[in-house]
Amino acid sequence: MSLDAGSETRTVDFAADDVPQWRSILSWPAAPSIIFLVVATLGVGMVTDGFLTIANLRSILEQAVLISIVALAVNQVILSGEIDVSTGSLLAVCAFVFGNTANVVGGAWLPLLAALAAGGTVGLLNGFLSTYGRVPSIITTLGMLFILRGAVLLGGGAQVLNMAPESRIFGQGMIAGIPVTILIAACLFLVMEIVSRHIIWARNAIAIGGNESAARTLGLPIRKTRLIAFVLSGLCCGLAAAVFLGQIGQLQATAATGFELKVIAAVVLGGTSIRGGKGSNVSPVVGAVLVGVILNAMTLNRVPGTYELLVLGSLILGAVSFEGVRQKLLTRGH
Amino acid sequence: MSLVERRPVCALRNVSKRFGSISACQDISIELFAGEAVALAGENGAGKSTTAKCLYGFHSPTTGHVEVDGREMTFRSPRDGEAAGIVMIPQELDLFPELSIVENMFMGQQRPRTRFGTFDWRAMKKTAREILARLGLRLDVSQPVHLLSAANCKLIEIARALNRNARVIIMDEPTAALTDREVRRLLSIVRDLKKNGVAIVYITHRLDEIFDVCDRIVVLRDGSLVDDGPVSDFTEGSLVKKMVGRPLESLFTHSPHPIGDVALEVVGLTSEPAFRDISFQVRKGEILGISGLIGAGRSELANALFGLRAYAAGTIAVNERRVRINSVADAFRLGIAYLPEERRSQGLILPFSIQHNITLASLKRFTRLGIVSERGEADFARKAATDFTVSGARIDAAVSVLSGGNQQKVLIAKTLARNPEIIILDEPTRGVDVGAKSEIYRIIDDLARRGCAVILISSELNEVLAMSDRILVMREGVAVRTFERSEFSPEAIGAAAAGQKVLSNVA
Amino acid sequence: MNARSLSMDRFRVNRSMVLALIFIIQIAVTSLLVPGYFDIRGLLDATRSFSEAGLIALGMTLVIITGGIDLSVGALLALVSVTIGFSYQAGLPLWAASLAGVGVGTLGGLFNGAFITYFRLHPLVVTLGTFALFRGIAYAVSDANAVSGFPDWFSLFGQTTLGWFPLQFLFLCLFVVIFWVVLSRSAFGRYVYAVGHNEVAARFAGISTNSVLLAVYTLNGFLVGLAGLIYTSRIASARGNAGLGLELTVIAMVVLGGTKITGGSGTIVGTMMGILILSYLQDGLTFAGVRADWGLIFIGVFLILGVFVNEVFRERSR
Repeated sequence: MSLDAGSETRTVDFAADDVPQWRSILSWPAAPSIIFLVVATLGVGMVTDGFLTIANLRSILEQAVLISIVALAVNQVILSGEIDVSTGSLLAVCAFVFGNTANVVGGAWLPLLAALAAGGTVGLLNGFLSTYGRVPSIITTLGMLFILRGAVLLGGGAQVLNMAPESRIFGQGMIAGIPVTILIAACLFLVMEIVSRHIIWARNAIAIGGNESAARTLGLPIRKTRLIAFVLSGLCCGLAAAVFLGQIGQLQATAATGFELKVIAAVVLGGTSIRGGKGSNVSPVVGAVLVGVILNAMTLNRVPGTYELLVLGSLILGAVSFEGVRQKLLTRGH
Repeated sequence: MSLVERRPVCALRNVSKRFGSISACQDISIELFAGEAVALAGENGAGKSTTAKCLYGFHSPTTGHVEVDGREMTFRSPRDGEAAGIVMIPQELDLFPELSIVENMFMGQQRPRTRFGTFDWRAMKKTAREILARLGLRLDVSQPVHLLSAANCKLIEIARALNRNARVIIMDEPTAALTDREVRRLLSIVRDLKKNGVAIVYITHRLDEIFDVCDRIVVLRDGSLVDDGPVSDFTEGSLVKKMVGRPLESLFTHSPHPIGDVALEVVGLTSEPAFRDISFQVRKGEILGISGLIGAGRSELANALFGLRAYAAGTIAVNERRVRINSVADAFRLGIAYLPEERRSQGLILPFSIQHNITLASLKRFTRLGIVSERGEADFARKAATDFTVSGARIDAAVSVLSGGNQQKVLIAKTLARNPEIIILDEPTRGVDVGAKSEIYRIIDDLARRGCAVILISSELNEVLAMSDRILVMREGVAVRTFERSEFSPEAIGAAAAGQKVLSNVA
Repeated sequence: MNARSLSMDRFRVNRSMVLALIFIIQIAVTSLLVPGYFDIRGLLDATRSFSEAGLIALGMTLVIITGGIDLSVGALLALVSVTIGFSYQAGLPLWAASLAGVGVGTLGGLFNGAFITYFRLHPLVVTLGTFALFRGIAYAVSDANAVSGFPDWFSLFGQTTLGWFPLQFLFLCLFVVIFWVVLSRSAFGRYVYAVGHNEVAARFAGISTNSVLLAVYTLNGFLVGLAGLIYTSRIASARGNAGLGLELTVIAMVVLGGTKITGGSGTIVGTMMGILILSYLQDGLTFAGVRADWGLIFIGVFLILGVFVNEVFRERSR
């Protein structure tokens, strides 16, 4: 149905409420983070020797890859209005599954499948408890963080497992001059971008996080959508475990402790709003690189590793406060 | 009027809706025809909202049914209503602020796909731009909605409805937040929609808009349908009379009471964008009614006097002394109390007991060294409950078990627990049954008799006419006129609130 | 209508009774399974280790009743401990160092509260940040070292008994009584519940919700300060990795006691039961020689289960 050309409205004077292009771009969620990243990189580069070398930059990206793989999925969880802080322990569990499967059957693809299955299953459990189980996701994933870590410590103990070279293909080597790890992250990013634009689930997720009551009125499947986001988070932990073991080559029960904080920091620093409904796939990637840059800068400047947590905490607090202030400035008081 | 027998696009047949023991609307039958705009008129609490909600599937009727093209339909959710072509544009904006215009327009819908199976964003943007163009808008459809003005957001919602091939669009107070120019644009859009065969249900208090753009008027009163006829059968005056009904003299209490000194004087009070340059006086023993439509700024004015809203300019004087009210504590200290508009979300703490609700704002009286004396508190609460005839449960029961009328009385008891001298009541009888209403009027009259200065904010014309000594009418944030009791008439007040010239000698 | 209000009371009584029953069964079962467990002296001795978490659980109860949460308590405890240890090492007299520690705890709580009220941020997000920040500062100051070598009298708090009861347990009981009075009998307690149920209505009633929230988080921080002092005294050492996972234990205790995570309801009695159940669970496991890692699993399970059961009950009571 359409309104015909002889519409009366044409004759009414209307205020062209078009917003200038620069303002539209600045309201991208990732905009300030990208600016911050560029400034930070240049700033650190000017002050620190050895920062702006190809080798160093590549090592930053390698670090960032691991965080981005999980952050891309946790991003979706946060966009839909929930949170997932279990990723560090889940990564360790998946790494365990990968490592032990590789020990038994060798190779890398079957262990990857096993790791994905493990991650997806836990993700499903997280999702069920947080949606249909009505347990707030902070409680579910916080509890799971400890349950899984306990399980890994129990199962793995003091065991240190070394990975055979054939099982490390996801974390090492190059294809056409580009490191495999970066390729994996790039592919995941592309997949997520396509999903975000063309899959109904992703469109619903960001709507649900943005205005839950409007979503309910429209009849969007709220619980199912959030459940899928948690499953995705688990799957990405599985993938990240394969990459992680490839990079490090060694499996320990204390692997990836504190990783979940880096993931949250990446998502939040990248511009995704912790309240949900606002963000893109660029955010977690930019955020992951930013975290990588900052941690690398600390290492190069001989800042003791004990300061890492301090820096991460400050970054998270800073990012959410900034977001809180920005909300007030950008919205026009509807 | 056509001579040909037209089939209604959709209809409500004998629809009634009850919530527990409360009947929101009874036996409503309305037919909607394509290309026709029907106004749904009535006071607050008349049942307009509930009726509309039954029409588009938000509520399912307790009895009766909805018909579309003559077929009986059962809507389990707004989604079903939407599938049948009935869409509601609510008063509060219901968009996704961070998403773009085109994303908002297609949310929850079948999106066109390309031959690769991906969403065809190009086609969607084109469709979006076309629909917007016909609404007189030329915007970048990729920009997030939160950057737009409120008026354009309203138009986006209409665009969204059009995108769903809506045959019936229900608009609830569509012009509440719009400037005059934006209102004119909206009305011309409504006219265009009609020309294209859309049936419109137009819910509003603004009589001038009804007469401007609607073809028929359906009047609801106390949940029943009292009139349904072409717009030419009505005048503003007769419409108001139908909405308001004949006042039951026995319902209200207005005893003669002595009027004393000026208790509260407000000069030039301004708090953009809600109200500006408001000036009035209230004397001891006087009841000042404040009348006006939604969006007039009355509750915001009350909030400012109560310390919950900052005001940029103007002066307030209590008992002839200039004061500044920056917080609720300030207001309390000056003897000002406020009964909020929304009893359940602003006034009461539903899981708390009746006793605890009554004393929440005045705990200091029963507190020594920080500890509350349960006995003193219980005695006070029991007496208050008796004084205000709260019935239905013991005072240690949760207030949520009470009926609306009794809950309101608890709220009144709480508001008066501090023995205030200046009392602002905001819609004190909304959602309250007739029996409780008359008891509340007795209480209000009693307050005036005892020498309190009372400000009565109400959208119910009957109430404000019967109870007030003087009436201040506000419209779109300004004080339009103050009426003395000798000048009271529903037509005059209604017209001042809606912005019409006062028509004299209306039947 | 009266019937409904009565059933609410019955439900509340039921829950406490159920918890007490669970506790008794738990002790009984453990005593049966683990020989030598049921020893009065031993059971009382066990209270040493949970008094710190118990103290914090009292403050956390108030926090959760207001609808918030504080994930930073474990990290703050470490910061308190490190403050005491390292300022003592730097030359401050021990009593002053102890005061400084408690002060740091209070300031940490104030920091949380200020961020939440001033920036209008969700407590979850703020305390997630301070969870890292406080721990980070603790690590940075201690540089992964530990301070020991405290004088003997310092262990007064942590290692003495008064008759049969360890001193810190009596201390805990004192605070339980104080908090019970505050929450159920004082005006402030009423305000806490009001803010938790309906912040808007609380504001309309003239309650300064910002002050209430600020007070609740600062109070929580103060309790963490006390707990940190007791902890340092008990193990006679100050380390940066103290209190790892403590926040989980504390929240689980509060939630088990019947406090709804969404706010508005909860009692000190319930929390006390939660403290007892969870602490003796851990104690039983330790006594039976079960590896500490099982403890992590149990706490996590109980936390999720506790909230889940609360939610199921909530649906029922409507």
